[in-house]
Amino acid sequence: MQTNIILSIAKKEIMDNIRNKWIILVSVMFALLTLVVSYFGSLASRGWQDLGFTISGMANLVTFLVPIIALMLAYATIIGEIERGSMNSLLSLSATRFEIIIGKFLGLAGVLCFTIFIGFGAAGLMIAANVSNVNYADYGIFIGATMLLGLVFLSVALFFSTIFNKRSTAMGGAIFLWFLFNIILPIVFIGLLATTIDITKFAQGNTIVVPDWYQALNLFNPTSVYSSLLTTSIGPVSSMSASSMIPAPSWYSSGLLIGVLLAWIIVFFALAVWRFQRKDI
Amino acid sequence: MTTQLVKCPTCKTTITVSGEPGEKIFLTCPQCNQKGAFTIPGEKSAKTMVTNSATIEVNGLTKSYNHFTAVNNVSFTVKKGEIFGFLGPNGAGKTTTIKSMLDLIHANTGTIKINGIDVRTHGKEAKKNVGYMPEKVAFYDNLTALQNLRFYAEIKHAPKEECIHLIEEFGLGDTGKKRVGKFSKGMVQRLGMARAILGNPSILILDEPSGGLDPRGVVLIRDKILEMKKKGTTIFVSSHILSEIQEICNRVGIINKGVLVAQDTVEGLSKKLNLKPQITVTIDSMSAKIENAVKKLLGVDSVKTQGNTLEIVCDGAMKAKVILAISTAGGNIQNLQTKEPSLEEVFMRYTEA
Repeated sequence: MQTNIILSIAKKEIMDNIRNKWIILVSVMFALLTLVVSYFGSLASRGWQDLGFTISGMANLVTFLVPIIALMLAYATIIGEIERGSMNSLLSLSATRFEIIIGKFLGLAGVLCFTIFIGFGAAGLMIAANVSNVNYADYGIFIGATMLLGLVFLSVALFFSTIFNKRSTAMGGAIFLWFLFNIILPIVFIGLLATTIDITKFAQGNTIVVPDWYQALNLFNPTSVYSSLLTTSIGPVSSMSASSMIPAPSWYSSGLLIGVLLAWIIVFFALAVWRFQRKDI
Repeated sequence: MTTQLVKCPTCKTTITVSGEPGEKIFLTCPQCNQKGAFTIPGEKSAKTMVTNSATIEVNGLTKSYNHFTAVNNVSFTVKKGEIFGFLGPNGAGKTTTIKSMLDLIHANTGTIKINGIDVRTHGKEAKKNVGYMPEKVAFYDNLTALQNLRFYAEIKHAPKEECIHLIEEFGLGDTGKKRVGKFSKGMVQRLGMARAILGNPSILILDEPSGGLDPRGVVLIRDKILEMKKKGTTIFVSSHILSEIQEICNRVGIINKGVLVAQDTVEGLSKKLNLKPQITVTIDSMSAKIENAVKKLLGVDSVKTQGNTLEIVCDGAMKAKVILAISTAGGNIQNLQTKEPSLEEVFMRYTEA
């Protein structure tokens, strides 16, 4: 394994995304959305919410948006090059498949994390300048957790771009993934929950103790893990979610949830490497 | 080539002998018919020694997709410093073979070695000195020619200054900031050749290098190939353009329906197929005497007459004697054309259904 080859490939991915203005566009979009949520997000009062409330308001939006961004960034990175024909030359230049895939992952991860950092960071600074109660540590955790969520989807998209033989099918796969984690799984899990507990209690607005198996099942949905991670790690989010209908259980720790997200990243990256090694170009 | 004078041991006549150093020449004395052998003094030159060592060895290569066998038990060797032409009809398995040679696709069975190193197990080392031009040349469309080559130079560890020279050499010097996505097919193809020879590889693998090129581009690529050969580069080239292959290749391999049906020099293949040169002679007036004079010569396969024209198929060595026979029989030669057996004929014969 040669680090300079990996770095050249990573650099190439970054340059590509600077050139096609992707980084600027997505950063600006993240920043604007954060500002909008912070300023208009509360029905009770017009004007800037502090960072803690902004994070609570952003959590749902992030679980919808960041996966899309990560999937878009990586779904075609391998199959696109194979389909276009440039993978041939790359592989003939004595770059190994492992060097290529890790270089691509690092480059795209850099692009994604940089965009999240700049977009949410800039908005955070603007909000901080307008409110008195500023907790940079909480906001830092929010940015870090969002990067982790992005990397999970990046890793899954990378795997998808090695299993399909066409760019278009890989795109279909990526869209399906987004629906799976944002819509299908939550509905299925809630459905399962509804069959086992007294649903009428929800209607009365009570918080109820949900069984552990439901909480365990949610660990298989990275977007739920992300939301729970914000709840367990960030004070203001935690106090807001304590009044929600399904609070996070006490055995959810930040360490466990970060571990789960890291496991997603590692497992799918490993699967992508395994698949790419066996692929005919 | 060295020339030496030797004396016949029996009658002391001086005989001129010429050959490569180290070559053993068998002689017959013109004076006394004494037979003997003489070895030209000196070391065998490095060139003749290395041409026998294999640079690319493909052994028993088989690749199937589901129930379709694209390449079936193909074996061949490419020797150091030669140009090896790889021919076959569309869909015969040329590109599959080439891609397997570079481990872009994984063969089901068989071994491929480049410079003695197994491509499958030690791909990185094996491909270190290989330049490759794929059938479908593709670049990063939103980069310029120079930016593209620089990226490849980084990965190949080739000096970056080389990129500018190559771009000039391949007539792309004036493309400047133009993105490769806006290049014509021919320009992309030329840039593809530049990428293949970037870093001065000792082995070049070219898959249909003149596809999509105008005649000037074809000549440019061919000259480059010959220039690289002069530097001692081993070249493996697949092509449809048979005349071109015949012109530049030392040996050819012909693949048909996934099976390697022939591997030899063009002359060797012609000989195997018993293909012979054809001579067309036009004389001022035809007579049976002339026709018979030619027909009774040994080594003449067939004689066809049509008006004042004779079409003769004969052994290569008989050409001069045929002409002489026509003159002696009174034929006044007006026009003369000889046609060597072409690669096209060889190709057609080997790839017949």
